[in-house]
Amino acid sequence: MTELVRVAAVTRRFGDQVAVDDVSLSVESGEIVGLLGANGAGKTTLIRMLLGLTATDAGELRLLGEAPSRSTRRRVGYVAQGLGLYDDLTVRENLAFAASAYGHPTPPVPADLVPVADTLVGAIGLGRQRRLAFTVALAHSPALLVLDEPTSGVDPLARARLWDRVHARADAGVGVLVTTHYMSEAQQCDRLVLMSRGRVVATGSEAEITASTTAVAVDAASWQEAFTVLDGAGLPVMLAGRSVRVAAVPRERVEAVLRDAGLDARVRDVAATLEEVMVALDTDRVRVA
Amino acid sequence: MRAMIVKEFRELRRDHRTMAMLFALPIVLLVVFGYAANFTIDSISTQVVGPHADQVATLLPPLFDVQGTDPGATADDARGLVRDDVADVVLDTSTSPPTAYVDGSSLFVAQTASAALGRAGDQVLTEVLFNPDLTTSWVMVPALVGLILTFVGTIITSIGLVRERQTGTLEQLAVMPLRPADVIVGKIAPYFLLASFDMLVVTLLGVWIFGVPFNGNPALFALAAATFLFVVLGVGVLISTASQTQGQAIQVALMTLMPQILLSGFIFPLQAMPAAISWIGYCLPLTWFVKVSQGIMLRGAGLDSLWPALVVLAAMAVLVFSAAVLRFRRDLAPARRTTARTAEPVSA
Repeated sequence: MTELVRVAAVTRRFGDQVAVDDVSLSVESGEIVGLLGANGAGKTTLIRMLLGLTATDAGELRLLGEAPSRSTRRRVGYVAQGLGLYDDLTVRENLAFAASAYGHPTPPVPADLVPVADTLVGAIGLGRQRRLAFTVALAHSPALLVLDEPTSGVDPLARARLWDRVHARADAGVGVLVTTHYMSEAQQCDRLVLMSRGRVVATGSEAEITASTTAVAVDAASWQEAFTVLDGAGLPVMLAGRSVRVAAVPRERVEAVLRDAGLDARVRDVAATLEEVMVALDTDRVRVA
Repeated sequence: MRAMIVKEFRELRRDHRTMAMLFALPIVLLVVFGYAANFTIDSISTQVVGPHADQVATLLPPLFDVQGTDPGATADDARGLVRDDVADVVLDTSTSPPTAYVDGSSLFVAQTASAALGRAGDQVLTEVLFNPDLTTSWVMVPALVGLILTFVGTIITSIGLVRERQTGTLEQLAVMPLRPADVIVGKIAPYFLLASFDMLVVTLLGVWIFGVPFNGNPALFALAAATFLFVVLGVGVLISTASQTQGQAIQVALMTLMPQILLSGFIFPLQAMPAAISWIGYCLPLTWFVKVSQGIMLRGAGLDSLWPALVVLAAMAVLVFSAAVLRFRRDLAPARRTTARTAEPVSA
């Protein structure tokens, strides 16, 4: 496997705000690396730095073995969050423009876009726009695919199809760096990098990351009361349906808080979700800060 | 309703551009245009030629600001002085009575001069050159060519460029393996060609519909128009780099367009403005293009007399277009600093 991306101790500040703080990660060929984090975690800034669109304040970036440049970007397929398509051009014209810019022949319009091939992009649905953006990004056979929130606003079926295509490219040896704030999409990635407030808070597979954190589920007659009491005690409390969950806090501590408040509830250990890991790590950071 | 009004005021208070348009701009417009909006000519640049030049020069009323005399000059020389815009009125004393050649391409000056000379009765013969009937459209059409170029070059170009930023396609262009120069030229060339086409159509229609004469060299006119286009396209690109939305771009473009309409001598004569205001006019590109276009179309003036205006336009083109390209390039290739830094070893 070839290392396509290497980010080492990269930092970027905007005024007093540290958008990306001492971040390191790598992407190898054939690997899907998921960059997960809430909005504002620094994912997009990191990707922009990787593509050479935003300057770094410190650290080292290597894209396809070199500093990001026009020549390295030639081998990168990028789907921006806003898709970067021309609404006033048709599907076919968008494809032709992108292919021409990369010096490649225009690829055929994908079968599922043929019915709208001569329709203005602004007049087709978001799902088809995302499909087109993906096709445009792949038209020049890139070695690395960078996808910024590729499934945002897409229905579950279209999302599943898009992930199928991402996997197909990864199987063909393309490295994929994908950002998402949907924790449920983590299982689509070979490796995860969790970001919070500009920092990498965890890396590894979903199982590896969640194994390091425990959670407890609280079943109470009044979940609202349980939630209020636990939240009031400063615990990282979340809701899963009507069940209250607390991540990275010993069961005994949760029981004690509930007992002190006079609440009767059943407390049990459960496997932590990625989201809970994220909340727990984030809470730790806030406490440290 | 009260909530809407309060909300609207809160939004307006935070929209600095609109606030500037609401409060600062009207005051500036009133003061500047109040002084500029003046059709009354108090002083007419005059040359007196012929054998009695020095004697006649002393007899002229103060309206005629005699800037030079040349007893040895002929009638042809006198016409040449008007054509080359050396003076608005040249009085030739070699004839009896003396002949006053008046520049008809400076409409208000010519009207004022003709009226004043007419009061002298048969003591002076008046000949209005280049626009003998003092037809307004003859003077306006060459200036309108410049105004239309300004409109296309500034407003349309800035809107087109901001659209790329607003829709996020500018970022996509930056990621593509296109050189910044490719993007800049690729974006601007269509507007340059369209504006050139507009210029051609407007000029031909002006000549055809309004009978405006085209006495000068078309190639020189094309050169001046192309130079002027670079200035206004540059202004359009500069506006686009300072605007996030098409609405903002239109706001700023209109702010640059209005002074050009009112202070370029296109409507109000520069000679009638106070010096401070006319100097603002001389800083505007349309002022110089109007001088060149009227000179070429109406007076048939050549490079020998128009070169100062062309040099000013060329200097403006280099300055504005370079600044525009540099700023636009910064938007496209913002990470040049990164490239240098990433090459450095990490000290972690």
